[in-house]
Amino acid sequence: MIPYEIIEHTADVGLKVNGTTLKELFENAASGMFYIVAHKKSSANEHKKIQIKKEVEDFEELLVDWLSELLYIFDSQKILFSNFKILELNNSGVIGEAFGEKIDPSKNTLQTEIKAVTFHDLKIEEDKNGFSCKIIFDV
Amino acid sequence: MYNIKKIDSFHWEIPASYKPGMKVPGLIFASEALIDSILKDKAPEQVANVAFLPGIVKYSLAMPDIHWGYGFSIGGVAATDPDKNGVISPGGVGYDINCGVRLVRSELTLKDIKPKLQDLINSLFNNIPSGVGSSGNIRVSDKEESEIFVKGAGWAIKKGYGVKEDLEYTEDRGSIEGADPDKVSDRAYERGRKQSGTLGSGNHFIEVQEIDEIYDEHAANIFSLFKGQITVMIHSGSRGLGYQVCDDYVKSMVRCLSKYNISVPDRQLACAPINSEEGRSYLAAMKCAANYAWANRQCLMYLTREVFENVFDKSWKDIGLDLVYDVAHNIAKMERHQVDGKEKILCVHRKGATRALPPDHPDVPDKYKETGQPVIIPGDMGTHSYVLAGTRGAMNETFGSTCHGAGRRLSRSAAIKKCRGRQIDRELFQKSGIIVRAKGRSTLAEEAPEAYKDVTSVVDVVHEAGISRKVARMRPLGVIKG
Repeated sequence: MIPYEIIEHTADVGLKVNGTTLKELFENAASGMFYIVAHKKSSANEHKKIQIKKEVEDFEELLVDWLSELLYIFDSQKILFSNFKILELNNSGVIGEAFGEKIDPSKNTLQTEIKAVTFHDLKIEEDKNGFSCKIIFDV
Repeated sequence: MYNIKKIDSFHWEIPASYKPGMKVPGLIFASEALIDSILKDKAPEQVANVAFLPGIVKYSLAMPDIHWGYGFSIGGVAATDPDKNGVISPGGVGYDINCGVRLVRSELTLKDIKPKLQDLINSLFNNIPSGVGSSGNIRVSDKEESEIFVKGAGWAIKKGYGVKEDLEYTEDRGSIEGADPDKVSDRAYERGRKQSGTLGSGNHFIEVQEIDEIYDEHAANIFSLFKGQITVMIHSGSRGLGYQVCDDYVKSMVRCLSKYNISVPDRQLACAPINSEEGRSYLAAMKCAANYAWANRQCLMYLTREVFENVFDKSWKDIGLDLVYDVAHNIAKMERHQVDGKEKILCVHRKGATRALPPDHPDVPDKYKETGQPVIIPGDMGTHSYVLAGTRGAMNETFGSTCHGAGRRLSRSAAIKKCRGRQIDRELFQKSGIIVRAKGRSTLAEEAPEAYKDVTSVVDVVHEAGISRKVARMRPLGVIKG
């Protein structure tokens, strides 16, 4: 199973993400998003725990929240993440960990500025292999 | 496809019967040549989706630079009526709230600038913060930031980053009334604080240009433009602040869909009635981000003027670096429009579209009352940009709106693939003498001229359809990108 691949979108950038479990889908989506940002793996000397509490009927909202939270930490604290672990995921929220490194944005090592994670065309599908979805990022 | 119906050479209708739930038809402005590529994209589906918005008036409109976005297409215009449960949708504005362009004129011509062009472009590149997540030298406190949210470009003038006349030639004089800093989240504050006076990345740029064609001498004269003149175009927006404001409110409005019993085919069209707590809060926060963007472009113009002063060893006033006009192309505004012979206040969403007010409109500066509002249309970095003027046709047909640029033709990854192994900057220099400096490694390939539609064919459509008219054309000499 390919964890993620870049898909074509005229104005923005999209990802097709797969995961054998929902947790893995969330982890792979985060890996794909940071691949778009930097096109490389960072080291893992920084660690953040992310906790989002929200009652939801479906997981799309939580997926957007999880990715947006990582993007916010990246933007405000300049931590480029590359490894992710979802600890808990259910209808009342998500708890996960992200590992990465502090970066100096002036060194031009970054590839793409992601403005936001959108809900456009976002639908988590389940089949016999697990879960998959498309995510469009505004860049 | 999309049951599209040709109305005449420049109008294409998607009937409301195309999808159950559409409240009005879609209307695309395009030529025969452009409509083919538009129909291959997913954008017309988004035009149809926007027609689901409660309270939408007349049409879900699309300008000829339309391309697939998220929620709204880019190049989309929709007006909603608050008296008919009309909604406001953050997706109809986009994340980069008040992304826009300003055009600065000069008294310079090509012969003045040619010997110093390399130096000028390098100096712009070195002195204007750009690139992914770039932060600037203009740092502000929380208190000052909320002042920016309310006063917009006026804050920058007060700080000495420009002169009063600059406000006269900025849409809404650089600040919309009704901005409420309390509706902006702490996170948005935090992201905005570090990024005042920064260009950003992606398609944002500062370009030095030469006017190489005048279509309307009289209007050009009133805009103080002439053939052979050097101009500077600045394209940027509200940076991380706007992204966060939009993000916060899309999330809260996703929840409004069930609360207000609104059915839309794409969650990115999340919205709330204009006359609801959520709708009012978003509008007040969006205005903060819009005002911040005007302050940002004002700061970028200030930095640009400083660079010119250093390179030419003259004051910017002596160089004649006056603002022609500044337009927003991602915004929602409450505006007066005629609907069925009655004046109504509508919420006009412009997502990748420009306001184009006609002659004598009260919101057009006195200097431009005769011509209509200047409309600034950036092209790609290898071809042309345009100055247009607003028309009555736009007021009648498009709620005073027109196109905003060339519009993408290729996705970013397709552009990178197409440009693999090529050096776009060297090509542009060898072919056209254009000097390009960019921060991002892939920016040049993503933004290569072939990634965009031909801006001239886009501008020709809005001119022929009568929703704005051509005044002048510029060719690029040098450009800095994030």
